[in-house]
Amino acid sequence: MNRLSAAANVKILVGVLIALATVSAVISVVSLDPFGEQGSGVGRKFIDDITELARIDPNLILYEESSVRISTGFEQSHAIAVDSKGLIYVAGDNAVRVLAPNGDAINRISLSEIVRCVEPGDDGRLYLGTKDRVEVYDDKGQRIARWESHGLNAVLTAIAVSGDDVFVADAGNRIVVRYDLSGKVVNRIGKKDLERNVPGFAVPSAYFDLAVSKDGLLRVVNPGRLRVEAYTLDGDFEFSWGKSSVAVEGFCGCCNPANFALLPGGGFVTSEKGLARVKVYDAEGTFVGVVAGPEQLLEGGTPYIAEVPEQHRVGGFDVAVDPEGRVLVLDRIKSVVRFYTKKKAG
Amino acid sequence: MKRFAHTVIAIAVLLNLCAAASAELLFPPPEFESDYVMPTTTTPHPHQDVYEYVDVAVLFIALSLASYLVLKKRSRRATFVLMILSLIYFGFWRKGCVCPIGAIQNVVLSIFDSTYAVPITVSLFFLLPLAFTLFFGRVFCAAVCPLGAIQDLVLLHPVSVPYWLAAGLRALAYLYLALAVLFAATGSGFLICRYDPFVAFFRFSGNVNILIIGVCFLLVGLFIGRPYCRFFCPYGVILRQVSRLSKWRVTITPDECIQCRLCEDACPFGAIRSPAVEWPAVEYAKAKKRLAFLILLLPVLIVLCGWGGSRLKNVTSRMHSTVRLAERIYLEEAGEVEDITDPSTVFRATGETIESLYERASIIRNKFILGGWLLGGFMGLVIGVKLAAVSVWRKRTDYEADRAGCIACGRCFKYCPREQLRLSKTKQEVC
Amino acid sequence: MAESKDIITRRQLLKNGCCGGCLAGLGALGGLLAAKSRPGDTVWQIDPYKCIACGNCETYCVLEESAVKCVQVYELCGYCDYCPGFHEPGATALDTGAENELCPTGAIKRKFVEEPYFDYTIDEPLCIGCAKCVKGCAAFGNGSLFLQVRHDRCLNCNECSIAAACPSGAFKRVPADKPYLLKNVENA
Repeated sequence: MNRLSAAANVKILVGVLIALATVSAVISVVSLDPFGEQGSGVGRKFIDDITELARIDPNLILYEESSVRISTGFEQSHAIAVDSKGLIYVAGDNAVRVLAPNGDAINRISLSEIVRCVEPGDDGRLYLGTKDRVEVYDDKGQRIARWESHGLNAVLTAIAVSGDDVFVADAGNRIVVRYDLSGKVVNRIGKKDLERNVPGFAVPSAYFDLAVSKDGLLRVVNPGRLRVEAYTLDGDFEFSWGKSSVAVEGFCGCCNPANFALLPGGGFVTSEKGLARVKVYDAEGTFVGVVAGPEQLLEGGTPYIAEVPEQHRVGGFDVAVDPEGRVLVLDRIKSVVRFYTKKKAG
Repeated sequence: MKRFAHTVIAIAVLLNLCAAASAELLFPPPEFESDYVMPTTTTPHPHQDVYEYVDVAVLFIALSLASYLVLKKRSRRATFVLMILSLIYFGFWRKGCVCPIGAIQNVVLSIFDSTYAVPITVSLFFLLPLAFTLFFGRVFCAAVCPLGAIQDLVLLHPVSVPYWLAAGLRALAYLYLALAVLFAATGSGFLICRYDPFVAFFRFSGNVNILIIGVCFLLVGLFIGRPYCRFFCPYGVILRQVSRLSKWRVTITPDECIQCRLCEDACPFGAIRSPAVEWPAVEYAKAKKRLAFLILLLPVLIVLCGWGGSRLKNVTSRMHSTVRLAERIYLEEAGEVEDITDPSTVFRATGETIESLYERASIIRNKFILGGWLLGGFMGLVIGVKLAAVSVWRKRTDYEADRAGCIACGRCFKYCPREQLRLSKTKQEVC
Repeated sequence: MAESKDIITRRQLLKNGCCGGCLAGLGALGGLLAAKSRPGDTVWQIDPYKCIACGNCETYCVLEESAVKCVQVYELCGYCDYCPGFHEPGATALDTGAENELCPTGAIKRKFVEEPYFDYTIDEPLCIGCAKCVKGCAAFGNGSLFLQVRHDRCLNCNECSIAAACPSGAFKRVPADKPYLLKNVENA
């Protein structure tokens, strides 16, 4: 009798054990998360942190976008410039479009290569930069000159015309080349030379902008150092401004400001990639205010930065300022030109 | 640990990311003045192909050896040793991947997805055990499969499972097989691999849930012989059917059965069939009627289960990432959920229209309607045949191993007095 | 007796027929598979252009320490002083202080090369594949840091658990003789 009940006990024990095992196995199967629905939270946290940093005090935003946007009609838009008459030049794909200030198409110049930068000269000539050389066109769109190539490593990113000089920023070779109007090299600016106090350009990617300011000094972005440097036309380093910071006064990321333009009064409009911001600085480089922040420049109602690779690869919006003081932003994600005007006081 | 030669690829392979590719531009790295040398990205090489072929060779040898040891040598001990060696090689050394059980899905995927080509070694892994089973019975289960081996090892105190319960539970294996085929064919994923209970043991690492499932299987396996093999293994049910046709198979007695009944309890897997006498005439008549009824019922059952299977499309199709994404986007669009998920963020960034996503998802869901019909129909057939099998009488004069259920482990041999006699004879001959 | 013998032979015939049929079926399946097979194996790899650096690679790998780790393509790196993949977004000082580092395990090593360049290398045994640096580098930098399946660690599971949990479908099977999808030198 005793032995029988012992056997029965063993059977019950086995039964219970099997039942327990079955139940816990079923629970484990059900609670398994094979589709990553719980996620790691790493990506979200980063976005949240950046979103917090990207938030801009609305009081700092001095500009507002006008309702009209002009589509560039390009697959990929690269650069924008405005001449003294207010004509808008947009480079993209293998062409440049010339637009009236109201957006009407005036002309289109097609090239055999991708046009990476554009600069209208005072004499009606148009200077276009392909990957490695400058091409000059007249106001009818006929090519009049094709300057020497900068070599295999060249990546031209910006052209500035001032008087008899043409300055060409070559991001690949980390140098600014000064030409005369006929395309002859006058000198090279910015090669590291510690004796002359020239720090050298650190250019991590194909963003390297320049312009000649009203004070007669050449302004070049040193993107790796996150600042704007001033040079004499002969290549002597004068001074620089800009500091690395995620705060609104600074430049953040690895190659900022990606682009800039001069305001009629001598100030600067800068454009940053990564944390997309267009901001205004005065002639001394003191922060003045914001034209548009990530919230205004990128899709979505809330502050928002690029989250997926497609968004990372574009960006670095080009900017230009027209004679009326409007800030033109070339939205490279949507391939449209946006216009920002100063908010009315009060 | 074992690093293979580090091949160095300076400027890398591929990428047909069409739109972006055109804008890509070779941006030169800085020219350093110091003697700094730019390092190259290391690319340690994977397990080389030749090892995959070695695996196939080992599989072939193990299967041949198992056939010899079980059918010719009739040695449980040698079979056991081979089983342990297979466990060490395919389990702990090769980390349990790829195995013939999982290979079902690769084969199915390659049939249904034109872009997927199954590696030849994986096809061989799938086909070799089938071919051996066709000739020698389930010797793969006996001594080659690492999943079977790990369960066989822990079997401590076998408890017999009633025949009807075992047959009922076995339906789970058919269902598992059908689902795995459905999900592999639709490109939703590899169900068998996802829930492989023992792979975490082979790797000493894995998801906690999977580890718990494995532990549970082994716990149950202490008392019920090879629970995974008998009630869940999808490859096992294929082998069962192939094994019915096998040319040679395990016989309990080496020559003749003397009806001593000693072997009756020898099998922990309930695969020994006792002799069956003629049914009484009354029973026979009843069974005949029942069988006729069940055969008539079979088509009804198939259609009914098929219909049920197709109705489950909303649940089954959720295994496919596109359908999951479409459902999520639908919820977000309808405002039923507040936040967004990573997949929905990515989808919105691609610029694809929501309509086109819904279109893609509904095409996939329609595949699950057809798949559901087939799956349900198959399950109906399985259940119907199982029911019909109860009413089929087969005359057996001897104790014999069930053609389908016997996994050729060889435990029963030494219980047979005729085998003892044979062994002592061979021993004498040797002496 | 004669009848039962007859039954047996009939059954035998049936069985042999089935067996032959099955063998033929196996042969046909084998032929079909041979036509659809590839000689070499495939392995799992991440398409870096699809990866959104969600961090699932760290947690969903079947290995305790994920087989996915960050790699650095030096040709793409800007060698910046301020590295958005190395420094916290709000870093106050551009040094190697742990509080300024983005990497939770300090797996990125920053070394001065020459003015103004810094070299960033990955100490692979420390890297856990969390992709924080990838996120930073992709968002603000050149994207030279990205995740790859390291094949000296990967077990090449038949179904990759991370692939199943990948929100952007970045995982794919690639031929084992070309097992890496490194980023091309691109315009960041």
